[in-house]
Amino acid sequence: MKKTQAYKSVAFFVERLRCSFPPRRSEAKPGRLTSLGCVINNVSRLTQPIRAAKPQPILRFFYLCDLCVLCGKSRYIGTVAKSLVKGSKNQFHFPGGVHPPDYKALTKDCAIAAGPLPKQVAVLLSQHIGAQCKPLVNKGVPVQAGQMIGKADAFVSAPVHSPVKGKVKEIALQSHAVLGRCLAVVIDVDTEGNSPLIPPADFSNDFDENAYSTEQILNAVADAGIVGMGGAGFPTRIKIDPEPPKETLIINGCECEPFITCDYRLMLERPNAVTTGIKLIRKAAGCKRTVIAIEDNKPRAIEAMQQALKNARGCEDIEVMPLKTMYPQGGERQLIKAVLDKFVPTGGIPPAIGILVSNVATAVAIAEAVTQNKPLTHRALTVTGHAIKQPGNFYVPIGTSVAELIEFCGGLTEKGAKVVMGGPMTGIAIGDLTSPITKTTGSITILTKKQIGRAKHEKRQTACIRCGRCIQACPENLNPTKIAHAVMHNMLETAQDYYMSACIECGCCSYVCPANIELAGYIKTGKALLVKQKKK
Amino acid sequence: MLSEIKVTPAPHISQALSTRRVMGDVCIGLMFPFIAACYYFRWYAVTLTATCVVSCVVTELVCNLLRKKDNSLESLGDLSAVVTGIILAFSVPPAFPIWAAVIGSIFAIAIGKMVFGGLGCNIFNPAMAGRAFVTASFGIMMTTWTVPATINHEMPTIGATEGVYTTTEATKGTGKAVKPIGYDVRTEATPLAHSKEAIKNKSKAKALNGQIKAAFLGEVGGCLGETSALALLIGGVFLLIRKTIDIHIPLAVLLSAFVFAAIAWLIDDNVYMSPVVHLVSGGLFICAFFIATDPVTAPITIKGMWLFGIGVGALTMLIRIIGGYPGGVMYSVLLMNAVTPMLDRLCKLTPAGGKPNAKR
Repeated sequence: MKKTQAYKSVAFFVERLRCSFPPRRSEAKPGRLTSLGCVINNVSRLTQPIRAAKPQPILRFFYLCDLCVLCGKSRYIGTVAKSLVKGSKNQFHFPGGVHPPDYKALTKDCAIAAGPLPKQVAVLLSQHIGAQCKPLVNKGVPVQAGQMIGKADAFVSAPVHSPVKGKVKEIALQSHAVLGRCLAVVIDVDTEGNSPLIPPADFSNDFDENAYSTEQILNAVADAGIVGMGGAGFPTRIKIDPEPPKETLIINGCECEPFITCDYRLMLERPNAVTTGIKLIRKAAGCKRTVIAIEDNKPRAIEAMQQALKNARGCEDIEVMPLKTMYPQGGERQLIKAVLDKFVPTGGIPPAIGILVSNVATAVAIAEAVTQNKPLTHRALTVTGHAIKQPGNFYVPIGTSVAELIEFCGGLTEKGAKVVMGGPMTGIAIGDLTSPITKTTGSITILTKKQIGRAKHEKRQTACIRCGRCIQACPENLNPTKIAHAVMHNMLETAQDYYMSACIECGCCSYVCPANIELAGYIKTGKALLVKQKKK
Repeated sequence: MLSEIKVTPAPHISQALSTRRVMGDVCIGLMFPFIAACYYFRWYAVTLTATCVVSCVVTELVCNLLRKKDNSLESLGDLSAVVTGIILAFSVPPAFPIWAAVIGSIFAIAIGKMVFGGLGCNIFNPAMAGRAFVTASFGIMMTTWTVPATINHEMPTIGATEGVYTTTEATKGTGKAVKPIGYDVRTEATPLAHSKEAIKNKSKAKALNGQIKAAFLGEVGGCLGETSALALLIGGVFLLIRKTIDIHIPLAVLLSAFVFAAIAWLIDDNVYMSPVVHLVSGGLFICAFFIATDPVTAPITIKGMWLFGIGVGALTMLIRIIGGYPGGVMYSVLLMNAVTPMLDRLCKLTPAGGKPNAKR
């Protein structure tokens, strides 16, 4: 009895230590003599419940003392030394990364509620990576909810559907967060005949995917116009194709961006929809192993998914893997590294090494599309930020304008200074509030003047002091300052020498830079310039 | 709704970190050795440090005005000139004349930093550049070591006291008494000078090993801020905890210096001082924690940092054991600064996913 207690208290100290020292880059290589964080990982397996405890930075000094005490106890020297030499085998990490405050408490407990029924929707014809859709309707034509209004001609493309019953007002250019301007079908919403926007209920847990053939699933996904809903917007039909063969399916429930909570709510409220989607993807793509990856700052979601898997039919082999809370854990390449300890080759895509990564929201959309024949016309999204009166998670029709959503949430407080489509780390600041939301918009974040005042561009950019913080934060092990300075001086070839194209634009480098240099911005500019140069 | 919306590239939030905070941390870290210096050298420490800091800051301001920078005053706020001033003051002897310290500071900032384009562009550590300048110009003053005020007796010397002092005019004879503000202070040779002497005479190095405690605490003659290894260690640990510096460079410097000193010591412990005494004496600790870790003049990758640190440690020991100077920190740092761009190129990072295919 005493022994276990002693062990637990020691393990608790160790756990506190682990929390107080974010992983350093050396930790990424198991099997080597590594830094503090790694020692601790082995022991910490026993202390799952304590993981939630987040220490104050002031306490770090005391934790250091803890370790000294710990090392002084001869019984544990073996454990510590072993883990020092062997490294941790049970959890891998990507190199670098940052730990921004997550602000998820704002909307964490807001159930996904019915969103506004807009007066007008603008369905963009390009909401995905790939070719733009061809409009199928003309001005003045009435459309039904769920009717296909944009057809995908090319291989890499996805159709778009009308989310509402109404009349096509015009087909015109609308602001697009990524492309700037894009053709959109603008629909005036009928006052009558539109179904209420109640979020759909959860699925039952005894779904049998064998009722559907692979062909059926693939066609349903293609027809429903499903794209990766995590942000990239790659057409899912191509992704879940059985060719090339995929060994592992990773369901991405990390949601590492600060503020966003819609995927978290989905996992809590509709875990069976997620498992149904997983079963369908697994069936279509022929994956043998399935892992649901969730960051360990969402213990309730982990629990909900584990429970759902236990109850669902044929899900025994699906594994829920809690991952360390670290930005950008939800980045595809970083996630694969963390789950499987494999790195996707630079310039390659995950299927090249037999891996399929899919977002939880996408899984739910697939489940709906296949079983209920429902096209992707609505999505759950988070309207959040400290400058909005009533933040929350909502189920909204795609094409609703940002302004309408903000109004629905009670408008802005005076502090509002920046409207971001997506999270604060990778989201795009929009200047035109009439911009419609798309299939890939996970959140609308409204930041206050104070918050952005601390961001780089508000302050004067000073000289780079070569402190190397950006290098240590870079999850792709690049040299951001070198690349950014090369771009600044229009030396794209030098930038490319330092592997500019390998940048995943996560923004960690800008986040940590003490000289207020907009490193990620420069690198993005450089990549755009490079594309332009190649076209010439 | 919104009167004005900001549109900028992501990310839209950031860590509260600035160059001023980084440099401010270094200043706080340097306060520990400053306290030690005040204890051992009394008013010398205060006047010399104040002089160097003020003249560094004024020089930077003047240079900014000459360059017609629109933010001349604002850029002083990054505190880098203050750090340079403190380190320069710490690396000259306590009784160093004020006017010479002013000249050194002006050189450090104007020639060491500003001609290259200011903060972030300098090749050499400004403080070390300034020190090199005063060493070359005022050699005698730079080797007039004052005995700490806490001990008023002679330092333990090897056997007969004759012949163990440095050969400069100022220290010939038994202790040239200087009378500063109310204290009796004597000049004496440093442990490293004794070590040099032992190497020259090929004997009596063993007797020096008894100084380890005094050298660790700082109760020996030496540069103003370099004597107390303990205070420097505390300051360094402070910086490490604050994550202002990385462990790599300090570790590399101290380890390689230790290894090289140990090799010499193992060859003949009658001629060469013990490696532990070598570590705690001279400027090795301030170099490891405060000088070599200057981010601007050190490599940016971890591999580069290790090579840099090993180079600094090895060169220091080479100068101490074989070279003509008793202490070699300054020249080894300057030499390694010169090869830093090469180290950076040598240690180019490969992306985490491996090099992309060449066909692109």
